Amino acid sequence: MADYYDALLRLCGFEDDDIKREQPRADKAFERLELGTEDMKTAEEWVRQNHDVELVGVQRLLRGWILELFDLVLAKDEGKKVVYYGFPSIQGPGMAIKAASKDEIYVACPDAILCHTLGQIFDKLTPILEAGEQNGLPPGHGLCSLQQIRVGAMAKGIIPVPDLVTGSSYYCDMGSKSDELLKQKYGQPAIYVDGSMDSRWGEYPGYLPERVEFMGAQLNKLFDKVKEVLGVEVTRDDWDKAQSISRHIFSGIGQLTKLMKADPVPVSAAEQELAQILATASTGRAMTEVPEALDILVQEVKKRVDEGIGVVEKGAPRVMIFIAPFSDASIMHMMEDAGLAVGATLLTVPPPKVLHPTSYTTLGEIIAEREMTIGIYHSSFGIAKRFEDAARSLNMDGVICAYQFNCRPLALPSHFLKKWVEEEAGVPTLSLEFDMYDSRNYSAASLRTKVETFADMLRARKAFARV
Amino acid sequence: MKAMGKLSSHLKGRLLELRRAKDEGRKIVGYVPGGYLPEELILASGAIPVCLVRGGDHSAVELAGAYICRWIDTFCRAQIGYGVSGDDPYYNIIDLLAIPITDNHVRAISDILDYNTDIEVFPFGVPHMKEEIALNYYLHGIKRLRARLEELTGVEITESRLREAVALCNKERELLRDISLMRKAGQVPISSKDFVALNHGSLLADKEVMVEILESVYSELQGQVIPSHEGPRVLLTGSTLALGDSKILDIIEEDGGVVVIEDFAEGIRHYWEDVKPDGDLMEALADCYFTRRVPPAWFRPDEERLNFLIKLAKDFSVDGVVWYQLMYRESYKTESYYFPDILKREAGLSMLTVESDYDPSETGPLRTRLETFIETIRR
Repeated sequence: MADYYDALLRLCGFEDDDIKREQPRADKAFERLELGTEDMKTAEEWVRQNHDVELVGVQRLLRGWILELFDLVLAKDEGKKVVYYGFPSIQGPGMAIKAASKDEIYVACPDAILCHTLGQIFDKLTPILEAGEQNGLPPGHGLCSLQQIRVGAMAKGIIPVPDLVTGSSYYCDMGSKSDELLKQKYGQPAIYVDGSMDSRWGEYPGYLPERVEFMGAQLNKLFDKVKEVLGVEVTRDDWDKAQSISRHIFSGIGQLTKLMKADPVPVSAAEQELAQILATASTGRAMTEVPEALDILVQEVKKRVDEGIGVVEKGAPRVMIFIAPFSDASIMHMMEDAGLAVGATLLTVPPPKVLHPTSYTTLGEIIAEREMTIGIYHSSFGIAKRFEDAARSLNMDGVICAYQFNCRPLALPSHFLKKWVEEEAGVPTLSLEFDMYDSRNYSAASLRTKVETFADMLRARKAFARV
Repeated sequence: MKAMGKLSSHLKGRLLELRRAKDEGRKIVGYVPGGYLPEELILASGAIPVCLVRGGDHSAVELAGAYICRWIDTFCRAQIGYGVSGDDPYYNIIDLLAIPITDNHVRAISDILDYNTDIEVFPFGVPHMKEEIALNYYLHGIKRLRARLEELTGVEITESRLREAVALCNKERELLRDISLMRKAGQVPISSKDFVALNHGSLLADKEVMVEILESVYSELQGQVIPSHEGPRVLLTGSTLALGDSKILDIIEEDGGVVVIEDFAEGIRHYWEDVKPDGDLMEALADCYFTRRVPPAWFRPDEERLNFLIKLAKDFSVDGVVWYQLMYRESYKTESYYFPDILKREAGLSMLTVESDYDPSETGPLRTRLETFIETIRR
């Protein structure tokens, strides 16, 4: 007899034997998540409305997210040790820990997984956000909604208490402070990877070598502590293995980014984001599901490009955003409905390469040096410069700086990013206050009004340029 | 107290003094008041340190709205407002703005002023953990600052100049500490408003004049007949207590409470630790300002700070804690959720959390909450 979730799982790329195999896990996970028959119906509708499920690659990515959700919820039941890391996180260390531990440890960013599953698939994040608000991160104070999700999910017993957390102390205070809050409640040990974003305006891509040495030492400390607490030694081989998988994934994302240059833009940026974030928020399904799903998606998108199929009209103004919403893909479709071709996010634009052969020898320093180059953890100017360069090189008609209001590092450029990109790259920029994790914190109608006006202005500008 | 009058008249003429000094070729170095900038370096370079400690002014916060969104700490937005206004006498007079980057809110001051004004900004990082590599990073930052100050002033910061500055600053800290510790007594000899005025004054006044004033205050207090005060004793703590942000102290006093000790991340000078004048002085500065300094809430882990607050509460025999934080300082907001349980468990005390965005309309609700709290903890 079919289960109440079969139709949804099929819609999300599960085969029949897949569903049969996963049934015990699905039963248990959905029960713990309090997802019943009505939730599955809502989810089917929500997924059809917001995702391009005629593409097999998209289905496979959704499948990867659902499997990751099962893995997260059931990690302790399945006898695994659990390590959580924060978002945003430096790409690589989590995956290297996973590679080193084989299958004994579950390593992931749980809040990002809940956004993409309970948010993007089930549209049922609100009870978790409310639990976060009731358990230490109240509303109305500009506290990070991603952290509210983590705190709320732990308070509701949906996700396991971890054996270790690694905080991205180099970027924001909220993640580390939430870890302190959770430590008070559950006693979870935490390793903070610290750094200091103390560069001057204009310094990027340059940086003081001491920044790399400091952050590098912090990353090396992380690997040492993992060995001490979990008994897992992360070697250079593990790092290389993790990097090799990452390279494959990011090569696929890079190919998609190139295909997104087509006119009309062939697929929603929401689908590209499904791959991008699964590759950074997960270390398990990122390794096993994403490479193949991406290969399929790239082929499908290529076919669309060859056939001239797009999700917006040909000639639509092309815009870039910082990052696609984590829990509500409808925002991307709202932009597309306004007639904008969202051709890239800053995160999908390949970062500049380290120009010279590295002189650093430790793993931590090599990672830290790469992070300086990427710009986002470098400085506010690093972000502004990356936006400027990407808008210019991708020949964007506009930039939408949709900033996460309750994330200090992302809220900080709220005004200067617009000024900088407009003055330096000559690209019109819309600054949009927004919450990419919690859809209760914005009015879709208000966002639509602003985006539609911006789209009208870009169309007029394009038309004027043609004349 | 006579000495308080002397401080008041010194501060009234301070800007004029600074202008004269500047005209005579001395450099004025501004800094953000998080307690991580060793003034000793500025003094040893022959420049004049000026702490940009003013706050409590909603119009400055409003002005910042054209440059940054509202979700940044109120005090930091106020600094952005003063800085971009173009007519703030302190921001206008400085030759260099040194900013110890403690968290993203302070980084906002650095980035926004660097991009939008002609003020020369010198940021240097303050790590968030007390580890050897973090200490080295901080030390490297203050060494870079030393080099920039030497370049700015053309004065070499020699061992003897630095030692002299350390002695002067230690004296000031020692006097503030001695005066503060007098408040452990059952009869409180100095009001928190006066102590905070002295503390804030020390961030703007000429250092030698300030030491003289503090000496006078100390001797005046020793000979003073102390009036009896029956009100509940309060520990006032939080993120920032800026010069001009007097609402909280006014209301607690008016409601009959007696603030006997303050602990703030910003605005209040830290006076608990002295620089040890032995060995390498740069290392001694880093040891005092980074390693031994009681950390603010953006350090992790939080045990040292929370244990320190409990110790202060016990040492100063307080009846309750008022936690005064500015809007959107997420580290303090998060800590304010779980600290009351620890405080109750460890010291048997209650805590009230209040917040401010420097908005005059807050006064009514703030008064109601404080009145209720003071009544509740009254023995």
